[in-house]
Amino acid sequence: MSGAIYMADDAGAVRSVELDGLVALFHAPSGMTHIVAPPAPQILEALGQGPGDARAILSRIADLYEIEEDAGTEAIEARLDELEAVGLVRRA
Amino acid sequence: MSDGPDQDKGALANPNRRMVLALGAAAASTVVTIRPALAQTAGSVLNCEIPVPGPQAGGNHIAADGTLVAPGTPGSYAPAPRPLTGEEVKVMLRGGGAPPGIDSESAQAYANYIRRLQSGMSGFTCYASLQMPR
Amino acid sequence: MRHQVSLAIGPVSFRVGSAWPGPVRALAELYGDYPKPEGDVCDFTVRLEPEKPWRRWLRPSVAISGDYMLPDAMPLSLALGLLAAEMGMNLQMALGQKRFLLLHAATAEKEGRAVILTGESGAGKSTLSALLGERGWRLMGDEFALLDLDSGDLHPFPRAVSLKNGAIKVMEAEASADRFGPVMEGTPKGTIRHLKPRADAVARMEEPARPALILFPRFGGERAIRGVGASEVFVRLTQASTNYVALGSRGFDALTGLVARCPALAIDYPDTETALTLVEELWADLPQ
Repeated sequence: MSGAIYMADDAGAVRSVELDGLVALFHAPSGMTHIVAPPAPQILEALGQGPGDARAILSRIADLYEIEEDAGTEAIEARLDELEAVGLVRRA
Repeated sequence: MSDGPDQDKGALANPNRRMVLALGAAAASTVVTIRPALAQTAGSVLNCEIPVPGPQAGGNHIAADGTLVAPGTPGSYAPAPRPLTGEEVKVMLRGGGAPPGIDSESAQAYANYIRRLQSGMSGFTCYASLQMPR
Repeated sequence: MRHQVSLAIGPVSFRVGSAWPGPVRALAELYGDYPKPEGDVCDFTVRLEPEKPWRRWLRPSVAISGDYMLPDAMPLSLALGLLAAEMGMNLQMALGQKRFLLLHAATAEKEGRAVILTGESGAGKSTLSALLGERGWRLMGDEFALLDLDSGDLHPFPRAVSLKNGAIKVMEAEASADRFGPVMEGTPKGTIRHLKPRADAVARMEEPARPALILFPRFGGERAIRGVGASEVFVRLTQASTNYVALGSRGFDALTGLVARCPALAIDYPDTETALTLVEELWADLPQ
């Protein structure tokens, strides 16, 4: 059974700059600036490929990065809650 | 146009190399949102004061918990004899003592009144400017 | 209003109107050597008005007003009229400036590049920048740094330096008496005295500089230097800016550009001479 499907705005809606291991993001639709720490930017990158649930996001991240073998989706889900709370992702 | 590091590429590692990524604990928090600093900075360039209570109180007195009550209500305090300055309020809210000319019990009631200030009430901008976290 | 003066300070012009002659006279004297603004239109207006109509004569009380205003502002006595005028100009900049990203910081220039001194009020950046201005640097401003949204350059905003309490004696030992404004006692921040920037700082007030170093100075404590990570610098500077949020993506681009380009260090020092030596050493260490 899959979880909620999330989506992010198009790449054009967000300006991002890496600063010293963290990422500063300007989200044009809200005019707000956020500083995000890994794995949040990687989750946004994964959603750049299209909407997905936590499991799909985990899988896309695993294609690009070396992650713990038995990584479950709890961390991803917690990050999705945070990102949803600030308007960077929403449920599709 | 000023250059920073690439802004068109995703701000992330080169996708051709698999870098190690720790997913972190679920309980961690990874997003900080920038809040406007206007009230704080403008408040520091212009001294402000807070009337206790504000002019909209219509002669009411202040209960120990900072709410407005009818004058003469037992345990209530008369309005402050003069508006309190931002500096005085900052000290008072930190537990640093009553401003000159004001006894400590009244000061407690005034502090609670100030903590209950809402946007649109007299003194709110001053109070907000003292509260913005650094 | 009855009495008026127009001032140009760097790229910004002000018209200050007052119900009383004193504050306008004091401003005209403090900024007497500055070029006059061109034409009639000024960027911002400041008005010094009686708190209530009868307070124009009776225990005169100056309420600060203008294009931009803050409610709850505390009126000042007429004796502090010059201070009220300066605060009024600060307020217009803090609330109304849209051409530049404003940072609460002091800036000083040498050889076309600038150091930015930023941090909490009272940390000593104003005095440190004034001292740099007397020791071979060009003071660009002690209160506001203006970051050009397109070029990323810093523009000077060389207001009269607002010295408080102990800093007054320090600068009286460095600068000639004719460069000081009146002593104002009993202000909300103690005693204040203004110092006119040096003649070359005024003459070159249209000359921008490339930011090269960001410092977070702290007076008190043993001499120490610490690096500050770029993301921390970025967040601190958003909190030191009055208009970052209002400027949207242009503010984001300008500030991330500044932070990505400039090294940032926190410095602690027990006295001003140590501070000055530290700044010179760190400046000399910058890549050319």
